[in-house]
Parts: sequence; C-alpha cells; structure tokens
Amino acid sequence: MSTHIKILKQVIQKYSSPMTLNYPSSIDKKRMYSQIPEGLRGFLERDEEKCVGCRACYMVCSGRATKIFDTADKRTVQVFHFRCTYCAHCEECCPEDAIKLTSKFELAVTDRNDPKAYVNTDLKMLSCKACNKPYLPEKMQKRVFERLSEKINPKVKGVVVEDYHKTEGFCPECKRVRGVLLDTHTKKHIWLEVV
Amino acid sequence: MGLIDRARIYSPWVYHLHCGGCNGCDIETLAALAPRFDVERFGIQLVASPRHADILLATGCVPKQFIPMVKRVYNQTPDPKVVVAIGGCACGGSLFYDEDPENYAILGSPDMLIPVDVYVPGCAPKPEQIINGVVQGILKLNEKATRRSK
Amino acid sequence: MVDHVFTILSIALIIPISLFLGVMYSFLIRKLSARFQWRVGPIVRMYGDLAPVIGSTRIWQPLYDILKLFGKDALIPSTAHKRLFTWSPYLSLFFSFAAVLFIPFPGLPLLSGTPYSLIIASYLLIASILFTILGPAASGSPWGAIGARREVELFLVAELSFVASLFVVAVTKGTLVISELAGFVGSIPMMLVTALAGITMFAAMLGKLHIKPFDMPEAECEIVAGPYTEYSGKLLGTYFLAKVFVLYNMVALFIAVFLPPLSSSVLWLPLYVVAALVLIFLLAVVHVLNPRYTIAKALMWYTKIIVPLVIVGFIAAFFLRVVA
Repeated sequence: MSTHIKILKQVIQKYSSPMTLNYPSSIDKKRMYSQIPEGLRGFLERDEEKCVGCRACYMVCSGRATKIFDTADKRTVQVFHFRCTYCAHCEECCPEDAIKLTSKFELAVTDRNDPKAYVNTDLKMLSCKACNKPYLPEKMQKRVFERLSEKINPKVKGVVVEDYHKTEGFCPECKRVRGVLLDTHTKKHIWLEVV
Repeated sequence: MGLIDRARIYSPWVYHLHCGGCNGCDIETLAALAPRFDVERFGIQLVASPRHADILLATGCVPKQFIPMVKRVYNQTPDPKVVVAIGGCACGGSLFYDEDPENYAILGSPDMLIPVDVYVPGCAPKPEQIINGVVQGILKLNEKATRRSK
Repeated sequence: MVDHVFTILSIALIIPISLFLGVMYSFLIRKLSARFQWRVGPIVRMYGDLAPVIGSTRIWQPLYDILKLFGKDALIPSTAHKRLFTWSPYLSLFFSFAAVLFIPFPGLPLLSGTPYSLIIASYLLIASILFTILGPAASGSPWGAIGARREVELFLVAELSFVASLFVVAVTKGTLVISELAGFVGSIPMMLVTALAGITMFAAMLGKLHIKPFDMPEAECEIVAGPYTEYSGKLLGTYFLAKVFVLYNMVALFIAVFLPPLSSSVLWLPLYVVAALVLIFLLAVVHVLNPRYTIAKALMWYTKIIVPLVIVGFIAAFFLRVVA
C-alpha cells in the first residue's frame, strides 16, 4: 500500500505537465518539438564539388549501401539510404572530406525507387586515348596529380611531373605498355641523387 | 468522406511484426509507443493480435526459418491493411543480406514475401521517424480503402 | 396509454444517451490513465497545423475505434464453431443493451419499475459477459480458450461479490425493484451496511470491467488478446460496443443502487454526472496504480477479502431487517 501512495504522489505531481514531446506539430512553443541529441548520425550528405570518386567510401561501407556504377562517360557514386547503417566509416575515411553525416533523419517513402532514398554524385569519366575504355574520373586524376606534386621530394619532382605528362590520358593497361618511354622506368637505372 | 472512412484515419491500430534482426528497431518502435512520443495522441494503439491490426510494423530481415510465420501473420490481418517496413534491414537487407554472396540463413527484406507500402529507413530509425512512417501508412490505408470500395 | 408512449420515447432517447455516456466514460478512463502515466493520451484539441489532415479532436476515440472495425473484413477461423462464433458478439451486445433499459437514468425511469428489475438487470449483465466467454471458447484458438478460462475464473468470484453486494442492498431496503430503492431512507447502521456493500460492489466492478489488477483475461503480453484473439472486423467491433454499454451499465447501476436519489429526477442530473465522473476517476486511479495480478492471486484476493466482507454485510443486513 505504501508503494501505491508513493506512486500516487508522483502521478499527481506530474499530472498537469506530461513529458510527451510535441513531435509532428511545431505550433506549441511551450513544449519541446523533438529531441535531437548532439552528434546524432543521420542521413549523409555528399559535397558534389569535393567528391572525386576515389571509391574509398565504397571499400569501407559496412552495410554495402555505397555502390559505384561506371558507364562510358560518367561514374555514379550512390548511397542507398535503405541499406545505410550510419556507421560514419565513409565520413572518417573520405580523403577529400566530401561526406558529412547530417542530423536530418525524417524519411518515409512509399517506393523503393524514390529519389529521396538515394544520394547520387555523377562524375565525368576519362576515356583512354589508346583503347577508348573509361578508366578514371577526371577530377580524381587532377586531384591525384595535385597531391603527388605537393608531397613529392622536390629533387625528383621535375622528372616525375614530366613523366606524368608523357602518359597522361592513358588507362593503367596502356600506361604499362608505354612504361618504357618514362624516365622513371625502373629498367633505365637512372640514378637520382636522393639524400 | 463517410464516417467509417474518417474513423479509419482516426484510429489506426498497429501490430508489431518482428521478422528477425537485432532488436534495435523493436526498441525504437516501443519507444514511439511510450510516454515520450505517445502515439495514443492520434489514436494509434498497439494491439496484440494481427486480426485487430490495420498497420503491420515489420522490423528486421527475414531468416529463412521465419518465412511461413511472416506470410501467415500477413494473411491473418484483415483488409484494408498496410505494411510499414521499419529500419534498414526491413527496407533493404542492410548488414545481413546482399544478393551476392547469398546468405545461407537469411532471405532478405520482408518485401520479398509481402507487399510493403511504406519504407522507413534508419539503423535504427528514431521514434519520430517511425511516427512519420505510420502517418504515411495511414494516408496509404485510406487510399486503399477508397480503392476497395469502388 | 400515455405511460406506454412515454416508456417507448424514453427507450428511444436512452440509446444515444447510453452510447454517448459509455463512449465518454471509456474515453475518460483512457485519457486519465494516460495523464497519470505522464503522457497526453487521446488529444482533446488537435494541434492546429495537423487538424485539417487528421481531425480536430479525439474525444470520440472509442467510438472511432468501433466504427473503424465495422469497416474492416471479418475473418472466421476454420477451426471455429461458426454459428456460436459469429452470434455471440451480437448476443453479448443485445444483453448488455437490454440491461440499459432496466437501469434508470435521471428523468428516464425506463423499465426500472418492473417487478424484480434488480435481478433482471444483474442477470442481463451476467448474460452479456457469458457470451464474451462462449464466443472465444468456440473459436478453436488456444489463446481464446485460455482467455475464456481466465474470464470464467474471474467471473465466478467477481460475479459472486457483485450479486451478493446487490442483494445486501436489496435486503436492507426490502425491495428488488430498482426504482423503489430511492424512496427508502434507512437508519445510520443501514447506511453503513450499504456503504460496505458499495465498496464490495466497486471491487466487483474492477473484475467485471477488467480494470488493471484484474485484466488477466485480456493480458496482452501473455496471451495475445485473450478472448478477442480470433475476432476481427465487425464481430470485434460488436464486442467493443457491448463493452461500452457494460461500462455505462455498471456506472449507472452503481449510482442507481447506492446513490438512488440521483437517478430519480432530471433535477439531479448534474449531481449524477459528478458522481459518475468520480467513479470513473476512481476506476482510472486503480487502473494506473496496480500491476496485473495472476489469476490465482486475483481469486485469493476476492475470496479472502471481498467475499468475507460481503458475507459480513449480508449477515448485518439480515440482522438489521430481523431486528427492525
């Protein structure tokens, strides 16, 4: 009986102020609309400017939500929200910081193919000069070159950049065939004074 | 709109159909029914028998052992009915299932067995999102009922 | 002739009134228990931005539930005894509605002046509950059978204390006609005995209406939906409608028996409403504060506390009658 009285006291205390959120309606300003904790991992957003299509997110995706489709002139990087587990591995590993998990979470669709359930980024593909096969997004090649020239030892930079321009526009296969043209080819035994 | 059609929108009863998976979505579904989000405000009630239900809340991917039960629960629900798939597993298979390589134990998402009307993705979805999905389900239910009466 | 016309008119009038009050009572129990649980419950004034889509109020929630069930398919299991299964909801509704006619409402004496109306009313209520046992037992579902069995066990003790506490009042006042209860003014010991009978009647109501400590027949987390497991569509809606009428009946009967003047004249209507609200409030408080008992514990509770109390009341009433 004493527990009943204890419960009754609590019941009466809170009678006039229920703890229910105001969720679907935003009119009542007195009560909270919805509770979004700090650091909530919601749907991801991809910055189309920054994304280079490097497939890093595809490699780490735990729910296999990220898929990559290559066609003749474009690469589509796609995230399917239905399969996404919000693990944020892609956000962690993205070399260009293009992927951000937002705090948006509202989504209810009636169709699997609803465009709202997908995040797509289209990238222009480069085709090989020799064999005409698509091999790399244009942006990625540019960005790889930029990174390379930033990080490389300044003493060998000239030779490497020259070599890069020699085989620019060839797919890895064709590049291998033309490898003998390069000054940095291992068989040429070019001795660079690297300290 | 007739009185019964209006009543259908006002009192959708949900049945919690757990098809497998990790229980995360079940916890969130029950949180949506609890005082913090209290769906009884809109007349939504959790019922214990599929025969009373209007909306089936399907959570989780379907293990192969569970196929007959899912089908049976779906058939036991009287028309008009709506299935709301809750969570990544119920929508697309998520971690547990992929076309290739095929899983020896898990069939995939429930929409391979029963027609799903509303998808609520998330791993696990927030209770708000579930409420949102159920509201979509209610609208769909009304649509189905009017189509049936014609 | 005039009397007959008035009776027929009042019967026509009691249908909407009892439905309205029954729906209101069940709404209030839902709303109050929701507020006691720190949540909002069926919303009275819908949020302005949502009102155009999903309706402006949920006061009629129990009625909407029933109406919606009438718009759904009814499935009949192949294992069921078809005739009993389909007819028992309607019979349950019939008896619970028939009981409405024997219980007076302020300004509408109805058939409460017929001889033995107290016995008729209690029998009709028992018959209504009997058909919530027979239908599920005929469904062929194990859950329905378990629910029906629990219902029977609860029915035995709750019904015993219900009928006995009615008879305590009948013995003290020396009449079995509901409308004659009002005219009788007893001495103070008689009032005390009546109050005791009121308490036991309240306890019996808990069992009959499946208020929380005694809701094991429809225990959702144990036996699916108990007696109603196999019912769907309009059959289930009929059962729920019968439940609404039973709730109205119990409240009206309680007031008619223990506060008899309140249901004798239209002038008492405000007080009648207040008394009904207080009763509903008490039911809601009990509903919220208690966990569900096991069936054995409920039986023990009734047989050890309520039934002895009723017997004491009965002996006291008998003694008072003989002495007086």
